[in-house]
Amino acid sequence: MADTALWLMVIVLIAVIPVLVVLLKGVLGAARSIPPRIDAIAGVAAAASQDLDAVVILLTTQNYISQIISSVANYGGSLNVALPDY
Amino acid sequence: MEIQVALIILLVALIIAALAIYLIATILELFKINAGLDVVLAKVGEIVAKSAPVNGVVDAINGTLATGRDLLENLLLVKAGPDSAGLVESLFPGEGERFLRRVGRTGKVVNTGTVYTRGVGILASLGRGAPIGAGHVKGPAVRDPQYSTTAASLLYPRPGGARARPKSPAVGSNSPSQYEAALTPGSRPRDAQGRAVESEPAEPPSSTPPAASSASAPSEQAPAPERLSAKGKRPWEQSPGPLPPPPSPPPGDDAPAAPSRVSSARDSRPWEQSPPPAPSSGGTDDAPPPSPPPADDDAPAPPSRVSSARGSRPWER
Repeated sequence: MADTALWLMVIVLIAVIPVLVVLLKGVLGAARSIPPRIDAIAGVAAAASQDLDAVVILLTTQNYISQIISSVANYGGSLNVALPDY
Repeated sequence: MEIQVALIILLVALIIAALAIYLIATILELFKINAGLDVVLAKVGEIVAKSAPVNGVVDAINGTLATGRDLLENLLLVKAGPDSAGLVESLFPGEGERFLRRVGRTGKVVNTGTVYTRGVGILASLGRGAPIGAGHVKGPAVRDPQYSTTAASLLYPRPGGARARPKSPAVGSNSPSQYEAALTPGSRPRDAQGRAVESEPAEPPSSTPPAASSASAPSEQAPAPERLSAKGKRPWEQSPGPLPPPPSPPPGDDAPAAPSRVSSARDSRPWEQSPPPAPSSGGTDDAPPPSPPPADDDAPAPPSRVSSARGSRPWER
């Protein structure tokens, strides 16, 4: 009876070893696939950060649009005076 | 018994070795990931910092543009009234409904451009209260595709036709004529319908024109030669010299346009003739025949001159 139990344990251990190796290999492969993607994200983030340097020009655009709307308002006021109401 | 224990120990050792190898490699990769994420996180932080004010600036720009749009839309509502949606629809198809929803109004959007061309519709609605929508939206266009402005003006009856121009004012700053003088006075290059009149050879003045032509178009027979010839023959336009004796006009003639009458009248007036002799103090009746008795004259001018003019004019004889 004791011999049978020992042999059974040996068989289980032999069956567990490949399963364990496969699982650990999968984890290692997944871990190894992350760094290249992080490097790619880092490159894209650097490019996006450089592109956002032009955001400051939006302040100039805002100023120009305010001036244009002021001109349009003046033009509308002139039209309001020049043209009769319906 | 001993062989079985030895196999178990060997297998456990293999399992521990496999775990150690793979887990150590995984830990190394996780360190690499950690370092890479540190780099990425710094750059993402830059992006967040740079894009932080964009929201406020874009909101401000959108608000300014919306204010301008509302201003122009309200102005359009005030000036064009219920036709404003149709005008917007004619310029930007599909925007008429949204325009009505924005301004909080309801109604059917009639595309103004279907009825009129763009300029004619706007000018007519602003100027003379055009009947926008006179033609059905699904029907044919009211306008003439080639002469759209003429077609629009035909909608309004005008005395003299659509091509008639307003007359020159009799009084005012533009009187007597607000139009330029014709380069060919007396001749009409175009008739009333706008067609070009063919130039006819000038007829000699002595030949009498046929009665039918003179009766049918009296205005087209140019009276210019007579008028032009009268300018150089008037007495005050000629050089001083002996004038022929004026012919005596008929006594009942009151026509004011005869040049012969003007010349005879000018020539027979006393102040255009040789100076009369000085009147005597007693007022004699031996004066020249044109002088009437001075008692009839009430004018403050010298009585001799005025009295001498009376009676000498042809129509007073």
